[in-house]
Amino acid sequence: MKRFECLKILSSMLDPKTIVVGNVGPISREWNALRPSEANLLQVNLGLCAAVGLGISVSLPHRQVVILDGDGNLLLNLASLADMANQNLGNTVHIVLDNEAYEGGGGLRSATAGKADLSAIARGAGVPQTGVVITLEDFESTARQSLTRAGHHFIVAKVDKGSVEKLPTLTLDGKEAKYRFARYIESTEVVQILRPRYTHA
Amino acid sequence: MEAAAVNAVVEGLKQAGVDFISLLPDSDFSDLQHRVASDKHFTYVPVSNEAIGVGVCAGAYLSGKRPALLVPTSGLLVAAWPLTSICMAWSLPLLLLIPYRGDIGDAFWLMGPYKDTTEPLLKVLNAPYSVISKNEEISKAIIDAQGSTISWQRPVAILLTGETIK
Repeated sequence: MKRFECLKILSSMLDPKTIVVGNVGPISREWNALRPSEANLLQVNLGLCAAVGLGISVSLPHRQVVILDGDGNLLLNLASLADMANQNLGNTVHIVLDNEAYEGGGGLRSATAGKADLSAIARGAGVPQTGVVITLEDFESTARQSLTRAGHHFIVAKVDKGSVEKLPTLTLDGKEAKYRFARYIESTEVVQILRPRYTHA
Repeated sequence: MEAAAVNAVVEGLKQAGVDFISLLPDSDFSDLQHRVASDKHFTYVPVSNEAIGVGVCAGAYLSGKRPALLVPTSGLLVAAWPLTSICMAWSLPLLLLIPYRGDIGDAFWLMGPYKDTTEPLLKVLNAPYSVISKNEEISKAIIDAQGSTISWQRPVAILLTGETIK
């Protein structure tokens, strides 16, 4: 199963206001090509995709949040799954695009190429809805079901290594991505996030 | 931590506009942690390691919350990487409250190394900090630190020592 094809299916289903948090590396580049949006927060570093997604999900419980995680990213901080489960999230679809490798880091095997089963780990951590998909048909039906039902859904999509050719380059660094996303949340949630002071007090 | 210090921290956090707390349970902050966990003013997200806490607070801040991370002294070392890969790389604010174990006067041998690591680590992480030793100074220090972290868009820490963590 090609990751890009999974993401293409997912992008066709999403509400424009759905917030997407993406793992650093090819996942973010592919997602940006398919669904460029101010509602994306991409290039989240190793070990932190689930954590950043958790912070957003808890803070904006009325917004749908999709986390596009990698197996290597999640493996670094597996305890994120337990911390997420304990928040009883009602708005989160956490998808791990599991290629069993550190593709962005040279392609060496990750623990899921061995014995680790992220779906079983998530279930053991208390995540209520978990599953593994290996075909595009199953990915489409599982993703659709997860997106249309409130809750905390965890999907492991087993994908091949490798990306697609001629992806547009991501041109935002972290600082610009932060400002863009914060301004987007400010405008859609009517809150003030960025507030530099102009007085001593 | 005495009740006066706990009250001063909670009062300072509220006056500073902090409405989101993430923490890892820690003996030095246990009374404070029980207070904020049960106070409905705060969205409360306990985490299983401090690195996750930094990520959670980053997501909360970008969603319009005003987070603070309560970090055990040793946990600052665990948090160092995301303080670099998220807070420094993305230029994100974060209020850090840290019990300053290993400060002079803390005779427990196991805490000694944190005198060597804590302040130098905050310096290389580009996180300015105040060392607070009197209960009466706590609230204002928190308010000032929160104002600075939001305006400067980088983490600011408060190290609590002396009578504040007795």
